[in-house]
Amino acid sequence: MRSAEGRGRTLDEAVDAALIELGESRRNVDVRVISEGPEETVVEVSVIDHSAPSLGAVGTSPTNGKADVARSLVEGLLKHMGVRAQVTVRTGTDPITLDISGRDLGALIGWRGETLRALQSVTNVMLGKHLAEGERVIVDVERYRQRREHTVREIALRAARQVKMTGDAITLDAMQAFERRAIHLALQDDPDVGSSSIGEEPDRRVVVGPRKPAGS
Amino acid sequence: MPGRAAAERVRKAIALVNAVADGAGDEDITPTEIAEAIRDCLELREIEQGSNVRKYLGEALDAVSDGMPADFVAMTLYAALGAIGESRSTS
Repeated sequence: MRSAEGRGRTLDEAVDAALIELGESRRNVDVRVISEGPEETVVEVSVIDHSAPSLGAVGTSPTNGKADVARSLVEGLLKHMGVRAQVTVRTGTDPITLDISGRDLGALIGWRGETLRALQSVTNVMLGKHLAEGERVIVDVERYRQRREHTVREIALRAARQVKMTGDAITLDAMQAFERRAIHLALQDDPDVGSSSIGEEPDRRVVVGPRKPAGS
Repeated sequence: MPGRAAAERVRKAIALVNAVADGAGDEDITPTEIAEAIRDCLELREIEQGSNVRKYLGEALDAVSDGMPADFVAMTLYAALGAIGESRSTS
């Protein structure tokens, strides 16, 4: 699998640097964040191998078997919905992630990803007996979820920089649980800035603020 | 607009269930809270405008009390949301 390391001031810049080196577009790659800091972000960008065994019936590991079942199921659901799209299994991800791609799939994403989230719920319910307890399948359309996670991580890092400069906490917009999770993960290793959440669903917001010294 | 308040309440219940499923790790949501959110939806008179809204909400409430997986509860609530949407588009 071809891959390249990218460095940049922001996540987007780091990804773009790696994409230029690979000569690929964003749609054809997986992005793994190696490190994110206020000064520099480092990512590993890997070209998705569409002929990889995990996409077809060749794979024999239990995970590939589950991924195949999940892929077939989502393909069937989309067919019944009258949506023409391609479903692939994102390689090297845990949990199993299904990527749906095609033309004009905005309706499949819905308002703030609502339809996409509903499709994911249905998929997990239908796959229930194939999955271990607590195991879940993630469904993404045109990398919407991945892009949202990247975006909120960018927001988190920008907020962290501002908090370090001013010393004041910043309350971000209301976000869904997977977005808040991405922010908490992005800031968990920052020694100076931490994150917490306030409010109630669906208006729960992340607060980025100075980390309190231990023991205080 | 008919159904708007009901849709908002169902969305709140869905957000609670999804927060459990997605595990942001920044809140402890109990089944009681989810059940309360669904009961709040059932109290609205406007849910009667959609033929299956009450049925789906009742099923979601049963699923919570039976300890069904979060995705199952979410799926049933999405069905209720869809039924509200349908009643709005036909009213």
